Amino acid sequence: MGTMSRDTVVSIILLLFCGLLIWAGYQIRDPQFGELSPAAWPKGVSYVLTALCLIYFAQSLMGDSARKADGSPNDAPAHAGGLSGWFRYYFNPIVCFALYFAFLATLPFFGTLIGGTLLVFLLLSFLGGIAPKQIVIHALIAIISVGAMWALFTYGLRVLLPRGEIIPGI
Amino acid sequence: MILENVLAAIQELATFKTILLMTVGAMAGLLAGAIPGFTIAMAIVLTLPFTFGMEASQGVATMIGVYVGGLSGGLMSGILIGIPGTPSSVATTFDGFPMARNGDPGFALGLGVWSSFFGGIIATVLLVLVAPQLAKVGLEFQPWDYFSLIFFALTVTASLAGENMIKGLISGALGLIVACVGEDDINGVQRFAFGNDFLGEGFAFLPVLIGLFAFSQLMSDIRDTTSARKSLTDMGDVSVRIEHRRAIATIIKDWINLVRSSLIGVFTGVLPAAGSSISNILAYDQAKKASPTPEKFGTGHSGGIIAPESANNATAGGALITMMALGIPGDVITAVMLGALLIHDVIPSPAFIAEQPKIAYAIFIAFFFANFLVLILQTGALRGFVLVTRVRMYVLASIILVYCGIGVFSLNNITNDMWTLAIFGVVGYTMRTLKFPLAPMILGVVLGPIAERWLSRSLALSTDVTEFITHPWSLFFLIASVFSIGFSLYQKQRGTKVWTLWYAPVLMLALTVPLFMMGGIVRPALAVVLIVLAVLIMRKIPAATRALKSIN
Repeated sequence: MGTMSRDTVVSIILLLFCGLLIWAGYQIRDPQFGELSPAAWPKGVSYVLTALCLIYFAQSLMGDSARKADGSPNDAPAHAGGLSGWFRYYFNPIVCFALYFAFLATLPFFGTLIGGTLLVFLLLSFLGGIAPKQIVIHALIAIISVGAMWALFTYGLRVLLPRGEIIPGI
Repeated sequence: MILENVLAAIQELATFKTILLMTVGAMAGLLAGAIPGFTIAMAIVLTLPFTFGMEASQGVATMIGVYVGGLSGGLMSGILIGIPGTPSSVATTFDGFPMARNGDPGFALGLGVWSSFFGGIIATVLLVLVAPQLAKVGLEFQPWDYFSLIFFALTVTASLAGENMIKGLISGALGLIVACVGEDDINGVQRFAFGNDFLGEGFAFLPVLIGLFAFSQLMSDIRDTTSARKSLTDMGDVSVRIEHRRAIATIIKDWINLVRSSLIGVFTGVLPAAGSSISNILAYDQAKKASPTPEKFGTGHSGGIIAPESANNATAGGALITMMALGIPGDVITAVMLGALLIHDVIPSPAFIAEQPKIAYAIFIAFFFANFLVLILQTGALRGFVLVTRVRMYVLASIILVYCGIGVFSLNNITNDMWTLAIFGVVGYTMRTLKFPLAPMILGVVLGPIAERWLSRSLALSTDVTEFITHPWSLFFLIASVFSIGFSLYQKQRGTKVWTLWYAPVLMLALTVPLFMMGGIVRPALAVVLIVLAVLIMRKIPAATRALKSIN
């Protein structure tokens, strides 16, 4: 692992994914209707993708060997300090994605208005800081922005946004 | 005759009520276009019930206002927040957003606004003058030709790949795979579902697009807390004044790009089922290929905004002519408009322009006028929109994240689309981190299903694959595809390798074959011109070869 570049690792993962796709391509039911089987196009694309990933794999391997011959190190990652360094570097996106998935998971309970307001408030406070004054500002921004969006879609555009169990009307 | 019809149409439209309706429609279109996840088609559909009580020409004029407004509105969010408001402004984001980030949002917006306007005007003039001829070309297309056209558009991924072509091609192929997931359009058979209901339903295009582009971009913006707490204005000397004069001067200077892109737009619009989501990318690609500085594309190049914005507005004109002349909708939007005309007992057909000149020319004039209207409205609307750039990045990101979710939900009223958005946000962010370009993937997602559909139709008509090379238009696009794939290599090695000297003349000679096959007078004459040009270029090759060898 230490001698492999990131590209080599990614190409191996992609090749495994291609294997899965090719297998899945053979599981597609053929209704024996029409000249083009429903599996033909996905299979064709899977083979093309596999060929491209093999080239990518070969390119990255050649890059690895060239670097080994030169004695030069692999491309330095953007972060330092192994897994904990990676986690620290990507902490903000990880938390934001987690909050967003939590918003989606709790949408049937909170509904769009409350869930959306909570999400904006939590994102703002996580990214912008939690000083008392900021909390008030963030709460106001969350209530006004999501409230306006919700009203525009609900009343202006007549979109029935997901409602929650907590307050069934909204 | 044309003048008479034009005057009659102007008389029909020049009423306070019609102008007011068009203004409201254009404002609604601008709003819909600027909101990511809210499509022009959706705005047109919502407008349809309002047009029931109007005159046919009034109703269609209102819808055209929405249509042109939507096409132009997409550039606002694309340039300022990096989220293409509509698929027709995807390519605008490639250079518009970097230009805004480089501290020149006013210029980027000016370029977008004026390119849209000029593109629309060029399209209108072309349509009125050469509409019947253009419609005839569209009528010639058969499934083989459509498939080859889409295949050609797919080869564009090679030139969108950027520095690492293999990563770009993988990204494009991944887009094709994403488009395969779920039920196939032809037989309704589930593919790549793995027994999962969510995957079985497939991915809607817009949540994928917004997830890949917007979500991942927002996450990149807030990765570092310090920069997340800055506004776009803190990041540099950002001008909030829309630079009209500078933009117009730049566009006039780059008039070849403008005209070429507008022609691409009209031509793509004329072809049924090939809409502005394709034309803006094709025009961008051609502008990049023709540019003396293609490496600057993607970093905030003016040509990268002029091309897609003029093309997407011009496409609307092309789509309108196909709808009117053949009764074939060029895209979803014109399909809805066709429905509106049918409600008023106006049946578009090849004889429509001759039988209903008043309505037909009213459509032309409305399209022409809508471009002026949108220009005026947009200038005011953009001033407010530019102020968005003064908001702190984390505030903007947090609100947009929720807004994207709500907008995406309103597409089909299903929460699965919101999950798709989030999942492709992760995919997009990972790809960005691993330096895979996202544009080819988008292209794959858009074009994959269309290509498969036309391939299926071609094979349903005949299993003989030689049909793809015996149909002149199909052969034309296949030849163009081969050269398009090799173009990235050509650009890299131009001026250093001898083979690159042969590229242009061989392309010209190759294209003469389908042109001769098409028959008639104009196309073979064009082929003769190409042969003459190729011979002239080839005569200079020996000297150029010697010069190259002496340098090497």
